[in-house]
Amino acid sequence: MTAIIEARGLQKHYAGSVAVKNLSLDVREGEFLSLLGASGSGKTTTLRMIAGLEYPTGGQVLFQGQDITHVPAAGRKMRMVFQDFALFPNLIVWDNVAFGLRLRINRPRVSAAEIKSRVGRYLEIVQLSGHADKLPHQLSGGQRQRVALARALVTDPPIVLFDEPLGSLDASMRKVMQIELKRLHRELRKTFIYVTHDQEEAMGLSDRVAVLQGGELLQLATPEEIYAHPESEAVARFIGTANVLTGTVLAADGGFALQLPGGGRISLGNAPAGLSANQTVTVMIRAEQLRIRSAPPVVEGGLAARVDERLFLGDKVRYELEIAGSGMRLTALNASSAARLGIGDPVQVLVEPSQVCVIGPRAGAAR
Amino acid sequence: MNAAAPTPWHERRQLLIWLVPPLLWFTVFMVIPYCLLFYYSLGSTEYMTFKPGFSPANLIRVFRTEPYLSVLLKSARIGALTALGATVLGYPVAFCLAFHTRTPRAKFLIYLLVIVPWWAAYLVKAYAWKTILGTNGLLNALLLKLHLIHEPLTLFLYNQFSVVLTLIYIFTPFAILSIYAQLERIPTSIIEAASNLGASTFETLTRIIIPLSLPGVIAGAIITFALATGDFIAPALLGGSNAIMISNVVINLLGVAFDWPMAASIGIVVIGVGTALISVAHYLEHRSQARF
Repeated sequence: MTAIIEARGLQKHYAGSVAVKNLSLDVREGEFLSLLGASGSGKTTTLRMIAGLEYPTGGQVLFQGQDITHVPAAGRKMRMVFQDFALFPNLIVWDNVAFGLRLRINRPRVSAAEIKSRVGRYLEIVQLSGHADKLPHQLSGGQRQRVALARALVTDPPIVLFDEPLGSLDASMRKVMQIELKRLHRELRKTFIYVTHDQEEAMGLSDRVAVLQGGELLQLATPEEIYAHPESEAVARFIGTANVLTGTVLAADGGFALQLPGGGRISLGNAPAGLSANQTVTVMIRAEQLRIRSAPPVVEGGLAARVDERLFLGDKVRYELEIAGSGMRLTALNASSAARLGIGDPVQVLVEPSQVCVIGPRAGAAR
Repeated sequence: MNAAAPTPWHERRQLLIWLVPPLLWFTVFMVIPYCLLFYYSLGSTEYMTFKPGFSPANLIRVFRTEPYLSVLLKSARIGALTALGATVLGYPVAFCLAFHTRTPRAKFLIYLLVIVPWWAAYLVKAYAWKTILGTNGLLNALLLKLHLIHEPLTLFLYNQFSVVLTLIYIFTPFAILSIYAQLERIPTSIIEAASNLGASTFETLTRIIIPLSLPGVIAGAIITFALATGDFIAPALLGGSNAIMISNVVINLLGVAFDWPMAASIGIVVIGVGTALISVAHYLEHRSQARF
């Protein structure tokens, strides 16, 4: 697949602060790509530079191989759905959607009949046909969101940009819109670039996720890849519920194990690539991959721990555990049907070696 | 809150305490003076002394006897021209202040430049225009220096032009602040959305920004129109015999002719017509107000 958008070494400096530092990424044609990060990670600034609403202080933006870094927003073939929807408050829904079709930028001009049929069609797609004559303030948040979507899609742009579009909706509306967006993407086959701080949203919607932190790209991969094999501790911690442990690699009975400081051992199974004994490594284990069982009887290969807190979450139970000896903490998510454990109960934690993901040598560690 | 539920006594008492000062103010400064004005307008004069009565003769005379009606219309025209001029001149300044002033310091500076003339007395500012437009004024001196004219021109001063010019100068800050306040309310994202959809600067301006700023424009126009129509300093200083305005007539009736009933009648008419005009404009302002 070819890249429709390429960001090359993008930088954005403001007086006294850096929003984006040296960010490069490719967006493939037709994919749903999320820019995921906490506030201040530079995800929105990156999107705005792609849209031309902000100019980078360094680097380039390419559209189908052509440099568009300094092309003004109006001249770019992408439409944006804004966080606050940014509907024109003086125009009714119909005119909001038709706005982009009535501009001089359309050469030749879009005929009145064409405008009518296209606006009508897109209002139907977003299920707002009955609200065409209303002003934005007469609509609910979800409806405004749909108008913004129709307004962006009606001009048939190859790329649609989303700046936290569901941020101002309530939880149930957000779920509905997520499914709607996923469906629209599948049906329209446009490139969607989507900014969000909600990792679940990013994972669920996207073909690929770009995790940003402090204005830098940490990892760009499929949701599955990012979930199972985070390349850095930050990514591991940002996505899902992760247990990140640091210890020393030990060669033990044909394989490797992780020796935790203060006692306790986690089997790493057959040597994962590039590991050697006595190396300090950081590993990640997903909370739902931890199996816990009541301590006596003690089983070989288990990690002794104690239940510190228990939270019932409905479909699952969350246990906060303290590893005996080291005081390190673990979080485990278990199906709620699992045997009930009480606070203070001694337990054993069992980990499949295949579920232990080595994040990489820690900075300053022996190689 | 349930409307049917009776309000507890202490709440009602609290409401009353809050209401007393504005009601008192309104009565002392609005209701009583207007009643007095109306009372005077219905009376008559005999040998320069007021005689109470109940005759609408003076009110009718405002419309029937020259020069009252024509001066009234001329004042309104000067007011309208001032409102127009102040809007045309003020809009770009307000626009610049709202959208093209990035740093708070620059904003403060422009804001200050708009407000600072108000630290000088009105009389002084009006007089300043006299020294610019007069026969021996700056403008004539400049034109003479440039050899564009051979003798000083008298057409700059003592006419409606000089009055309107001065009034525009004096009252434009009101238009600027009123338009600016409205432009400030327009979220940046709306303007970004317009350009993201492919709108040129001109299209964004005509289709989005100007329609959204209309309430501010109307409000500014009402203020400048009302202030200019009722002005008496500019016409007195710079108007000459040609640009006498309604307030000058009222002053003459009060202080020279001692015809208080006639002066009061003009006042009542001006207030009535003014209130009607302002109500219409106010209605238009609210109708054009978009809800963000």
